[in-house]
Order: sequence, then C-alpha cells, then structure tokens
Amino acid sequence: MIEVLRAGLCDLVMDPGRPGWGALGVPAGGAADPAALAAANRMVGNDAAAAGLEITLSGPTLRFPAGGVAALTGARFAAVRSSGAAAAWNETLVLAAGETLSLGQAQDGCRCWLALRGGLAVPRVMGSRSTLLPAGFGGHLGRALQAGDALPCEPGVGEVRLLRAHPPSGERDAPLRVVTGPQAGLFDDAGLAAFFGSPYRVAPASDRRGLRLRGAAVTHAQLELPSQGVLPGAVQVPPDGLPIILGWDGPVTGGYPVIAGVIAADMPRLAQLRPGEAVRFVTIELEAARARRAGLWEIEELG
Amino acid sequence: MGERGLRVATGDATLARYAGLISRNFPEIEEVIPADDSLLLVLRRGEAVSADLCAALAAPPAAAPLMSGILHEIAVEYGGAAGPDLPALAERAGMDASAFIQRHAAVEYTVAFLGFQPGFPYLHGLPDALHAPRRASPRVRVAAGSVAIGGAYGGIYPAGGPGGWHIIGRTAAVLFDPARDAPALLMPGDRVRFVPR
Repeated sequence: MIEVLRAGLCDLVMDPGRPGWGALGVPAGGAADPAALAAANRMVGNDAAAAGLEITLSGPTLRFPAGGVAALTGARFAAVRSSGAAAAWNETLVLAAGETLSLGQAQDGCRCWLALRGGLAVPRVMGSRSTLLPAGFGGHLGRALQAGDALPCEPGVGEVRLLRAHPPSGERDAPLRVVTGPQAGLFDDAGLAAFFGSPYRVAPASDRRGLRLRGAAVTHAQLELPSQGVLPGAVQVPPDGLPIILGWDGPVTGGYPVIAGVIAADMPRLAQLRPGEAVRFVTIELEAARARRAGLWEIEELG
Repeated sequence: MGERGLRVATGDATLARYAGLISRNFPEIEEVIPADDSLLLVLRRGEAVSADLCAALAAPPAAAPLMSGILHEIAVEYGGAAGPDLPALAERAGMDASAFIQRHAAVEYTVAFLGFQPGFPYLHGLPDALHAPRRASPRVRVAAGSVAIGGAYGGIYPAGGPGGWHIIGRTAAVLFDPARDAPALLMPGDRVRFVPR
C-alpha cells in the first residue's frame, strides 16, 4: 500500500498497456519505456508486466505505512527517503514501515518508473491496469494520482533479492532515427530539407498524446487526406507545418500527412525528451530498422 | 508508419479486408486498425510479414464483409442546446431545420471505422447535400453523445472534450464504456439509423 502525501506533476499507473483495441479507437498506451518499467519490476521480484508508476518531470511524495520494496528506473529525479538519504536508482530499495519517499524535479530526462513489490492492485480495464488519461479510464480512477490517494499492492511472491540494473547505453544527443512515412512523397524538397536539416525543440504543450515540435515549418501540398491508422512515433505534419510526434496515448487514426516514423528502438528516447530539448531526425532503411533492437537491461545481484 | 506499421491501401474493400485478416489470426499481427480507405497492420515487435500474410494481401478480397452489420437505432434530440450548429448547417444546405433533420434521419449509415476517441464512429452515407467542412476553430468542449457532421462523415462523440465537427443533436446512447464486454456500441461494418425524438 502506498499513500500519496503530495502528488507530482502527472503520476500515472502504468503496465505494458492494452494492445489489440485499435479498431475500437483505443490506443495501446502503457509505459512510455516498457523495458524500464519491466527492469524496475524485476528488481522487486515482480512479473515484468506488473503495474507501477510512471512519473513525469516532477515527482510525488509517497508514504509506505507498512513498509515495502521498491525500485526506480529511467530519468534521475531528486529523491530523498525519510532518513534524508538520497534514494538510489536502478537498485532494490527496502523501505521501513512508515517511511516516505519524496521525489522532486527530474534532473535529466523526463520520466522515471517506480515499481512496488506485488505491483499496484488497481482493476484491469480492457485487459490492462494502464491509465488512459485522455479517455479517463484505467489506472487509479482513470486519472493522475492526487494527494490523499491510497493505492493497495498485490501480495509479493517469493523471496526478496537485492538487485542492481544496468540500463542499455545510448547516445543521448544522437538524432532520432526514423523510417520515411507513407506520405513523405507529398513534401517538397524545401519541406524535406527543413525536417531533416534543421533542429526542432519540444514544445511545452507536449504530453503522452503527442510531442509537439517548434522550429522550421515543414511545407507540403495542402491536401485533404483520408484518415489513416497511425502508431506512436508517427510524425504528423498539420497545416501549420510544425511536426507532431504521436505519443503512447495518441489517437489511432489521423488525417494529417505522416512524413516519418520513429523506429521502435528509439521510442525509449522519445520518453525522455523534455520541453525545450532539441530534436533532430535522421532516416535509416526499413530493413536496418527491423534489425535494430532496443538495448537490453542487465540485472545482477547487489553487493 | 515506423517499422512495425504496414499501411495497406484497400479502397472500397476496407471492411472486407479487415474482416478477412481478423478471421485469419496471423501470428505476426498484433492488431489491425481500419481507416478511411486503408488498413494499418501493426506487427508484433521483431516480427516480419510472413509469406501467408503476403499471399492474403495479394488475393482479391472476399465479396462481402464477413461482419454482422448490426442495425442500431440511435434516438437523437436535434437542434437547440443539444445541436447548436443545426441552424447554420441547414442554411448552408439551403433548407429549413426540419428538412435537414428529415434528410439526416432518412438514410442508413455504415460505420466505416472508429478513431479520434475510443468508440467514435466515422459514418459513411451522409447525403451530399448535408456535407460541411469542419469548423474553422474547434470547440473547446463538445458534450458526450453529440451527433456531428465533419466533411463527408457523420459521427457521434462518445465522451466530452474538444471537437471540430458541427454539432446538430445529441443522443443519450452510451457509445463507449470500457467496463462493458463490448466496450464500443458501434463496430466497423455496423449500420446506424438516427431517430428524431
């Protein structure tokens, strides 16, 4: 059980999501970096698909009335325990009864994941415990956590082992790798040059539905397109020419031309882009993208 | 659409293709999302298109959609506070409001696909005279159950929220409820008739 003493900017219950409902207009959603949540789950002895918290930019203060076992992965946030000690990242944390864990601002990146032994015991909706915030269902009452909330955990199974995780290494500043989109041909040379040649910045109005970019407008033939199915990572260009990278909770269909799609291996990087951060794009061939896997987390015994 | 999304142009055979692919249960496909005149095939992570799937996509589609095509009657309160755009749309179409309602309720619509919000149906079959380009500036809040027109499509907003379509009425029908066994009231291939009340 956790008690929310103070809520963060947007603390959402997440698991791997609910793929398979796209034909009903429901996006798969789920943790923005499912491998990072899975690694946190493994460090507390959970099934990789257990529900944890996805914490964005500024975190909550949580109290563990009966104590607990937890783990944090993803972007580093300022984080202190009741004792005043800093909470470690990427390792099993054992919390005493009544202890609090207080997360502040993200120091680098945008999102972290908190796994709790047993996993958060919110009801499954359409097969998943993930919050789908735009539609207001799943997770804890379909919304972000608020001060005063109390969330029970499922009972933990098996013994607790103290583990440490090593995230995959990656170049933070490398351009996002994309494959060209189905409507790339609608863009003229100037539009393509703007998109691939100039840096963009993540606009403040970005969320799990989409990352809005600021920078050079990408010009294109202003055609009315029939709606098509779209996926997280698809880069849509609305009439104003400012690209939107669709996020995890974005719509499943869209009517704007899609110039490119972020490859699956780079989606975890998308999860860490902060408002104001620079973004560049580079194309890679489809076959090369298929061969490229997201880096693997390695987990070892602590001590 | 990234390396996991395969857009297949399907034209008029979208629903037949959709039903055909769903019934075959290809192991490499995570899901199939129907849209206007295309399908998006979402491949499972690390999977490629199999020879079987290639062959199925190359074969001619089934003659008729293999879908139930249930007919739903949707009771609508037209105009007034429930349908603030009805007077302007009727004027645009060169008819009075009651004639507009009659035309809107006289035809049978087909659910082409769902999108935008969970359970939001894009309806084919809107009479040409009732087509209207989307609003220049979207409303910040449209009520749940709003019956709408966007371009050549009819639609119904399952939940409240921002929206750029013209609102001509409202229904009390619950279009989407994630707790139901069948969360979406209307499914691709279903038919819809609006009944003025």
